[in-house]
Amino acid sequence: MTSRVMRDFDLLLPESVPEVLELLADHKDNCAILSGGTDLLVALKFDYAVDNVVSLALVPGLDDLSFDPDQGLSIGAKVTIADIVKSQDVKTYYPALWQAAKVFATPQLRNTATVLGNIMRASPAGDCSLALYALGGDLQLKNASGVRDVSLDDFWLSYGVTARQSDELAISLRVPPPTAGQKSAFQRMTRTTEDLSKINAAVSLTMADGVCQSARVAMGCVGPTLIRLPKVEAMLGGAEITEDLLGEVSDMVAAEITPIDDIRSSADYRRKVAGILVRRVINLALTEGNNQ
Amino acid sequence: MTELKVVGKRVERVDVRAKVTGGALYAADVQLAGMLYGKIVRCYDYAHARVTSLDLSEAAKCKGVIKVLGPKDVTQKEYNASVLDMMVSADMRGVLGDIDDQSIFTDHVKHYGDAIAAVIAISEEAAERAAEKIKVTYEELPVYMTAEAAKQADALQFRPEKPGNLAFQLPEMAFPDNAYAWGEVDKSFDEADIIVEDTFYVPKQKQCQMEPGSYIALYDDQERLNCWTSTQMPKLVQKKLANLFELPMTRVRINATVIGGGFGARLGMVLEPETCALAMAVPGRPVKVLSTREEDWVTSPSRHPGKYWMKMGFKKDGTPVACDAKFENYKGAYYVDASGTAFTTGAWLGGMYKFDSLRYRGESYYTNQSICGAFRGYGNPQTNFVMEQMIDRGCAELGVDPIEWRKKWHKGVGDDGWCIGVPYNSCALDECLDRAAEAANWTEKREKYKNQTGTKRRGIGVAVMNHTSGAMPMLLEHTVCDALLHQDATVTLNLACSDMGQGSHTTLRQVAAETLDFAYEDIHIATGNTDAAGFDIGAHASRTLYVGGGAVKQACEDVRRQLFERAALELEEDVDNLYMEDKIIHVKGSSNKSISVQTIADQGVNNFMNPETGELIGQPGQIQGYASFFPPHNAPPFGTTIAEVEVDMETGEVKVLELVNAHDVGRAIHPGVVEGQLDGGAQQGLGMALTEETYYDDKGICQNNSFTDYKMFGPSDMPKMTNILVENPDPTGPFGAKGVGEAGLVPPVGATANAIFNAIGIQILEAPITPEKILKALEDAND
Amino acid sequence: MKKHAITLTVNGEERDLVVPSNRTLLDALREDLGYTDTKYGCGTGECGACTVLVDGTTSINGCLTLAATMDGASITTAAGLAQDGNLHPVQQAFIDNDAIQCGYCTPGMVLKVVSLLDENPTPTENEIRSGLEGSICRCTGYTKIVEAVQDASNRMAGVGE
Ligand SMILES: Cc1cc2nc3c(=O)[nH]c(=O)nc-3n(C[C@H](O)[C@H](O)[C@H](O)COP(=O)(O)OP(=O)(O)OC[C@H]3O[C@@H](n4cnc5c(N)ncnc54)[C@H](O)[C@@H]3O)c2cc1C
Ligand code: FES
Ligand code: FES
Repeated sequence: MTSRVMRDFDLLLPESVPEVLELLADHKDNCAILSGGTDLLVALKFDYAVDNVVSLALVPGLDDLSFDPDQGLSIGAKVTIADIVKSQDVKTYYPALWQAAKVFATPQLRNTATVLGNIMRASPAGDCSLALYALGGDLQLKNASGVRDVSLDDFWLSYGVTARQSDELAISLRVPPPTAGQKSAFQRMTRTTEDLSKINAAVSLTMADGVCQSARVAMGCVGPTLIRLPKVEAMLGGAEITEDLLGEVSDMVAAEITPIDDIRSSADYRRKVAGILVRRVINLALTEGNNQ
Repeated sequence: MTELKVVGKRVERVDVRAKVTGGALYAADVQLAGMLYGKIVRCYDYAHARVTSLDLSEAAKCKGVIKVLGPKDVTQKEYNASVLDMMVSADMRGVLGDIDDQSIFTDHVKHYGDAIAAVIAISEEAAERAAEKIKVTYEELPVYMTAEAAKQADALQFRPEKPGNLAFQLPEMAFPDNAYAWGEVDKSFDEADIIVEDTFYVPKQKQCQMEPGSYIALYDDQERLNCWTSTQMPKLVQKKLANLFELPMTRVRINATVIGGGFGARLGMVLEPETCALAMAVPGRPVKVLSTREEDWVTSPSRHPGKYWMKMGFKKDGTPVACDAKFENYKGAYYVDASGTAFTTGAWLGGMYKFDSLRYRGESYYTNQSICGAFRGYGNPQTNFVMEQMIDRGCAELGVDPIEWRKKWHKGVGDDGWCIGVPYNSCALDECLDRAAEAANWTEKREKYKNQTGTKRRGIGVAVMNHTSGAMPMLLEHTVCDALLHQDATVTLNLACSDMGQGSHTTLRQVAAETLDFAYEDIHIATGNTDAAGFDIGAHASRTLYVGGGAVKQACEDVRRQLFERAALELEEDVDNLYMEDKIIHVKGSSNKSISVQTIADQGVNNFMNPETGELIGQPGQIQGYASFFPPHNAPPFGTTIAEVEVDMETGEVKVLELVNAHDVGRAIHPGVVEGQLDGGAQQGLGMALTEETYYDDKGICQNNSFTDYKMFGPSDMPKMTNILVENPDPTGPFGAKGVGEAGLVPPVGATANAIFNAIGIQILEAPITPEKILKALEDAND
Repeated sequence: MKKHAITLTVNGEERDLVVPSNRTLLDALREDLGYTDTKYGCGTGECGACTVLVDGTTSINGCLTLAATMDGASITTAAGLAQDGNLHPVQQAFIDNDAIQCGYCTPGMVLKVVSLLDENPTPTENEIRSGLEGSICRCTGYTKIVEAVQDASNRMAGVGE
């Protein structure tokens, strides 16, 4: 049940990163970072309570979205989903991320929702998070005493819980540069076009002479966090991707996931279609997922 | 008929300028001096519980709080939020067994969201914060979410007057054997060569009108109760509130604000009783009550869900010999429309095909669901989902084309309509079917989609429907209209018909202009004030144009008659010898004898004396037309939809590719308005067929009373739409018009289900037909 | 609760106001400034009834924006689209194509279309449809809204004038 009036909190509007970090250090757990607010404000209309909300609105220097063929992609804390959709570099070099951004939420929300906010929310359904999981990336988390890098592989601990400490601000995410022969794709299933995913999948494959050198395969809505499918990745790595192999992959998927029933779908259904979705997203990557 | 000048034209709708610039005032937009805010405290922890303690004291102490009210602080009278009881005679009310079983605040929670208490405060925020301080303890009671659960012998009884929790069944006195029936069904089945039978489930769909419930009430210095509401039924709500608060109607005034969609959710009262009760507690201060979306969801009525069993028998040659059916709906916590929907669901069934015999039983069971009531179609979509799938199953077994069979066996002119004994007086369903079939490429596609293989399979399906224009003769139909001719020869119509966005004020104005032979711009419709307007049942049953239009036409004819009488006196001619052109009344065959409407109108008001002769100039008295109109019939609209879908055999996902709707609308007073009704109806029909259902957990807690969790077809989900308006004027409708407000929703439901049947060869018995259900059915079929 | 003094330029008019931390832009516009053309439909970002434009072209949800974070912003509501008494071409197209029924979605919808056409002046039908996601209309089935957008696109490009 939402309330028409959000509960009480103090909105803090720091004007620099150090100021943000100071506030985070002061308030620790009794404090939430407000970026696009599309998750946080909804939570505050439900039963989430916190006394301090630290807005990034006036903080400069966090909206950098840049691509360098050697360094890869850097996504600042305030980069929105709309920024991703508009980026030709993302479209060209990271098709999975671009495809996820393209179908993400609604035009209005894409204008405010951030990529990092999506990652920080640690939802098992997060679309851009999932695409990035397949592509791989390192988060820069900063607190008053310094910066540390955390790989997305180690970031989501359980439902809504991350490796971020309460005094840390996520500054940016670095996605590795595209490699030769890398192909990626994202696909999701929803009840209607605008919806949260009921199941989603993303892959990044490195192909050479028709053989898959290595694969990262990630799925959402099939466990308490986004997950990777190591056994499926192992099956694909070093193999020629044939319809037969995809059939085996498809069967293997069900063994690697632990979906539940919820309002969007049933565990049973998710188990039935997960393999099909993975097969389809691999085919999509192979046909349209070129990184150039 | 002479050539129509305004009727049939796509004139600019009366209210769209205000709506497109944001100037239109919906109830929530109204700001009054000294406004207070009310927040209703509801039980969201249980669906069935007894309140064991209620402590208002902490809330009363909160900053900004004016008053806190519990069940004892408001009228103890029970009421029934529906208005059906006002549409039938007292005797009939007795026969039906309608009861009042709702109270403003309750100590017996019967559904998720039932109202317990309320806070009145100086701001919405203060009211919300204080409401959180109200302490309630409960004793949990067992929940009964379905008819099957509620009718068990040991189930708690919702109302002593309704044993077995059977809120309603067709009463023996009016319906022998508790059935709406003709012929001898059991015998007829013996003659059948083919029998099809199944039990279906129809979902609890929500109107999801975009404006959530918002109300203001003020008990003013003249001891009058004023209520600002976007109700569909201002006059009946006025009377209902007068009854509830024991006031004469002169002391209750409804200010009908712009309606942000209704679809049945505003049929009767919703939170008017609560809001008015708050206002009565703080005389002189307006109180505003604004619902959240989730609150609106569980406090306004939904479509009746339930189990729907049906059995049909056919002879080898296709003759439909018998139809037997039973709809047990999961009524919800209160009585409201228990009788209406249980009856009409069968009425639409009875009105469709020429079965030799038919028997329908309708039963409404109390459950711990939020209330069910009117929703566009009023039982018809439920019947369409079931009946049309059964017909297609029959056709499949008979090996006949579903369109050919329907053309042969649907009811038409002279056959009993949805009300036995009231025959149809017009029907253009054959033309609808022919034109839809052609537009959809029916024959070719039906052939093409046989024996498909592969992952994506297409299907094409058809459904038909009959509906009504107004609820006569089942319910009262009556509209009063005044047409006041101003001295500048423009006309203000005063009537209480509401426009929920369906365009009725526009089409009523067109009817007036056409009748008077005035310009569209010459007419103004004054609505929204129950002090001034005469009786009107309100917007329901696709009746506003048909009945309201009848009243407008009659009132305008009255104006015209008076104009001609006066012209006759002034011109010293026989009325029959006069004609009007461009608002000038001429004498036939005489080019220079004429008088303008403007002159007559002006002289009637400004009836001055000629200073030279001392004689009055012209005929005295402002002209006013009046009609208290009871329609002679219910001009049945018919319609068909052909749906084409593509099913993903691996995931069960359905894509709707195209809908072709062909409707017998009598006459399209405004084609754009009619198309809009069909388009919008289709969006809701597709939702019912494919995605829309309210889910509860096993404790009766609603799981998806929000747009996040309840999904409707969005812009990208909607298919290509083709609308064909078949104009076959009804002899009783204004300029031949029939009601089209509900029709558009109905056949997309059955057509979509049948298209899926055509694609995969399996019928899904539960709506909405989700990918989960399709995949399961495909698997079961393979086992 | 902390209060914030802010300045909003709404439909070209500069307005100073003081808002508590938890005030949404939607409530600030409706309750504090009287721009009731911005609607509440769900409060959770799904329906788009609360849509406003920032800097004339970027659509956002007023219900999921804190007013205090918008200090200095220029906001357009539906009431601000008409210029010198002339409706915006998008508004006129909505009227001419019968794309308005109950009208509750309309203010947010027309603003959204203004932003859609700003970004993509000649959208395909599919682009229009996906651009309309996030603005729920329960009355029209979207058909005539899509037609209105096509018409507005033509008008703004000067086609057929
Ligand atoms: C109607 C609707 C539709 C949606 N559809 C989708 C969809 O299709 N797919 C999808 O994946 N999601 C969807 N979402 C969810 C949401 O929009 C995304 O998760 C969004 O990316 C969150 O970003 P934000 O900037 O709005 O985050 P916020 O709400 O500002 O923050 C989210 C969380 O992250 C924390 N946080 C934010 N930034 C930082 C930072 N820099 N450092 C540390 N912590 C931080 C916040 O404290 C908060 O806990 C939808 C939401 C709504 C309301
Ligand atoms: S009110 Fe903001 S999206 Fe519905
Ligand atoms: S016109 Fe009613 S919601 Fe769009």
